[in-house]
Amino acid sequence: MEQQPQNPEQTRPLRGLYRHVKISVRTLNVVIILGIAAIVLCVLFGVAHAGYTVTFDSRGGTDVPSQEHMYQEYVDAPTPPTRDGYVFTGWYVDENCTTAWDFETDVVQGSFTLYAGWTLQEAS
Amino acid sequence: MADLKEKSRSGVGARVKAFGALPAKEQANRVGNLLLNNAMYIIIVLAIIIIAIIKPQFLSVSSIINIVSLTAAKLPIALGIGGCIVLTGTDISAGRTVGLTACIAASLSLTANKLYPNLGVMPIPVVLLAVILVGACVGFVNGFSVAKFKLHPFIVTLSTQLIVYGTILLYLKQGTNNGQTLSGFAESYRGFVTDELFRIQNVPVPRYVLYAIILTVLMWIIWNKTTFGKNMFAVGSNEEAANVSGVNVTRTIITVFVLAGVMYGLTGFIDAARIASANANTGLNYECDAIAACVIGGVSFVGGIGKISGIVVGVLLLQIIFVGLNFLSVDQNLLYIVKGLIILVACAIDMRKYLVRK
Repeated sequence: MEQQPQNPEQTRPLRGLYRHVKISVRTLNVVIILGIAAIVLCVLFGVAHAGYTVTFDSRGGTDVPSQEHMYQEYVDAPTPPTRDGYVFTGWYVDENCTTAWDFETDVVQGSFTLYAGWTLQEAS
Repeated sequence: MADLKEKSRSGVGARVKAFGALPAKEQANRVGNLLLNNAMYIIIVLAIIIIAIIKPQFLSVSSIINIVSLTAAKLPIALGIGGCIVLTGTDISAGRTVGLTACIAASLSLTANKLYPNLGVMPIPVVLLAVILVGACVGFVNGFSVAKFKLHPFIVTLSTQLIVYGTILLYLKQGTNNGQTLSGFAESYRGFVTDELFRIQNVPVPRYVLYAIILTVLMWIIWNKTTFGKNMFAVGSNEEAANVSGVNVTRTIITVFVLAGVMYGLTGFIDAARIASANANTGLNYECDAIAACVIGGVSFVGGIGKISGIVVGVLLLQIIFVGLNFLSVDQNLLYIVKGLIILVACAIDMRKYLVRK
């Protein structure tokens, strides 16, 4: 059986981290109820302002507006930004441009930023 | 009073009858007690039902497997912290230790290694040994300082948290890596952790679920079937009494923290492969989730009280609620506030339980 010490200790004042606690049960009741009300309010506020922001960091290119999406929605592919002397290579999840974002299959899991990838334009 | 006890032993029916015989005020009191002492469970179960009604996909097979996998990933760290809480302490260096061990596991398994260009991909046992050793070292420093200096675990683990964080940052500057995120692991390492165990309706269950189950069973045996486990509960409930009755308090405290450190190491090992990358932010705030899960699961700050099953339920409930809130697209920043409030309320409920029993 799992350990559950049932010794007369428990009838004595609180021990451990609570040994200095001097609080009445009534006050604790109020604290618990208020705390739960605060949690519920927070969640309700969150649900009322639901949605994740996808930010596009064009990194020197023309500005791209951010998008609001719900969980597991696809991101709409924005109009590609432009930048003098560079060719746009796509949107990436990381700043090092190693993992590309696939607008067809990748879904939103939370707020995040996509980074524009650029390569130097070859002189023609 | 003795009469009442007699009745409550003879089954639920008798208990209900005994309850009916009580005066109305006492009845209201008992219902109030029951509601308040289980307020956290009630609110979480209600939230789960509401979310499931609004978003039926929340209960789909893939979502449930996602929740189980997340629980498995967060379980070892909570099992480690559980022991520290039984000793009326805690460990706030846990998250950073997970980060450090994740970075170490990652750096030994990179295909294109920028930290150690000449080092090939290390075999799994070497990586495991490394993370266990590093975790145990951090745990030893924590345990030694708590046991010998008699410092409060909050202070000790706060300082180790900073030391470990600095170490992660320096470690990531090795070679030509320059502090960047480590990614691109060898298949042997990623596969060892994330390969599919089996499929349920075409949704793969990753291997680390099995590892979490093994670790849980191991910790259950350590907590309940070994002398060390019994000593841990004895030291947690009354250090002086344990000392008088011949328990080596210092060794027990150090072992609890070392064991916790090993658990963080294993969490880091699993986490780097699970997320497929590791950086200085890996493991950030993991200890908050773990402490919240333990307190919800009935591991009490009163000391010497706690069950492995409680920790598992705590981690599971927390993951369900946070995946659920994700389904409702609730802002992640708000979730930090919710987590903080949950810890506070769970502690108040925990305190109330032992105050009322008095």
